[in-house]
Amino acid sequence: MNKYFNIARLSLKERLTYRGDFLFSSFLRFLPMITSILLWKSVYSSSEQDSLSGFSFKQVIAYLLLVNISRMFSSMPGLATNLARDVREGSIKKYLLQPIDLIGYLMSYRIAHKAAYISTSLVPYIILFGSCASFFDTFPTPVGCAYFILSLMLAFVIGFYFEVCLGMLSFWILEVTSLLYVVTTLSFFLSGHLIPLDLLDTTGWLDVLKNLPFAYLAYFPAAIFLQKISDDDLLLRFFIGVLWALFFFLLSRVILYFGLRKYSAYGA
Amino acid sequence: MLRHLRLMFCFAKFSLLGELAFRSNFLLKILVELIWLGILLTFFKTIFGKSSNVAGWNEHEFLFFVGAYYALEGFVETFFLENCVEFSELVRSGNLDFCLLKPIDPQFFITLRRVDWSTAPKILLGFIMISFAMYEIGKPLELWKVPLFLILFLCGCSLAYSFLLLLTALSVWMIRNQSLMEVWWLFTNLMRYPRQIYDSEWALPIRMVFGFIIPALLAVSIPVEFAVKEINIEFTLFLFVIAVVYFQLSRMFFNYSLKYYRSASS
Repeated sequence: MNKYFNIARLSLKERLTYRGDFLFSSFLRFLPMITSILLWKSVYSSSEQDSLSGFSFKQVIAYLLLVNISRMFSSMPGLATNLARDVREGSIKKYLLQPIDLIGYLMSYRIAHKAAYISTSLVPYIILFGSCASFFDTFPTPVGCAYFILSLMLAFVIGFYFEVCLGMLSFWILEVTSLLYVVTTLSFFLSGHLIPLDLLDTTGWLDVLKNLPFAYLAYFPAAIFLQKISDDDLLLRFFIGVLWALFFFLLSRVILYFGLRKYSAYGA
Repeated sequence: MLRHLRLMFCFAKFSLLGELAFRSNFLLKILVELIWLGILLTFFKTIFGKSSNVAGWNEHEFLFFVGAYYALEGFVETFFLENCVEFSELVRSGNLDFCLLKPIDPQFFITLRRVDWSTAPKILLGFIMISFAMYEIGKPLELWKVPLFLILFLCGCSLAYSFLLLLTALSVWMIRNQSLMEVWWLFTNLMRYPRQIYDSEWALPIRMVFGFIIPALLAVSIPVEFAVKEINIEFTLFLFVIAVVYFQLSRMFFNYSLKYYRSASS
């Protein structure tokens, strides 16, 4: 366990080296929120309705702000691409030769990256949420907050194992970059990052969309915070989410097991 | 001029040959663009499923706008974006030497040397959307408006290219210009919707800065307004003038930045 802690500690140090760049890009990422606020304001004012698919104007904006928090936990930039590169170039050997579990190593590394990212993004996020506080009409109860935090953890776990599975496909397909683009693009939309899933005109399909693993990456935590999921439904949704996490965890182990048997360690 | 056109043709040909060497990758890249279009249209449909107009734009006019934006984005991505993003790597590695030593205008060579064919269908799809929107509007574009719309559209492209070139030139000082894409994304975000959505009182600073000083809001809005809304002569002329001014400014700044290139690591 100690070695994984040390990996996390070193990764954290590495990540904090470029904290200036972090802060700058975090601020830039928030500016488009202004465009979203204005666009939705126009939509609501011309629709002359206070609520669209159960979402008020303020709730849509609050949702779009909250998905940034969800993605902060669930997005894994570079994880699958780096893993695929290591397999392609043969440098994955260095993990296999050491008394270390590859997925365990990646997990420690990623936890450190997330900790660094979240701590450096804290200031811009506090400013953003502070200036947009008026969009939050209600705040969840302490139990609701606990569920929210749990859903963020779940988002991290599903996001992590999903990306690991994708990256390890490179044991069979040498060039997975384009496939990753396709999946990332689909995930961006299906996770509800762009628009609350409830607003989509998907008669019959909405329940399917909400139960896909993608929904747990952005929609689910934001919907919990905004109390859009009923208490009866909540446990079932969590149960499905945990099943997805377990599924991708087991799948990653199976892929690694068979992948290493296929791996011929060329290159590097 | 003819020599530059011939060279452009050669760049395009070699880029296409390069792409076709990895055909499945190329097709997947096109698939990504099609998925993006699907997302864009779903978003558009969702919005107009809830409301009959957005900031004074009805569904068909807005579709025209989306098509024009998509085509403009495709134009910039196909010809310039990849080259500009790679510029910081050329500076960092010192490989820019090889570009500067060629007997050709450095800006021309650096920003146009590779054509990204996978995004080229976006231009065509954008114009298909424009044609479809025009058909839905039920009022065909007057013949005299067509060449003027195309000129204004090219002014919008030129404006977008100038912003990109200004950002690219900063790489000479910043060496690692990782935020270039983020800033560019911010610009595209401002171009993505009609400028009328910024008509709120509190959005006045944005409207002033990005409508006049760094006029990203005009790049798509003005050509489309010219085609489907009432013609605003002042803004139409302003777009034309500002596109020329920005092109010259960005060119001067780019050439100025090259003087500070230190040719390290080569």
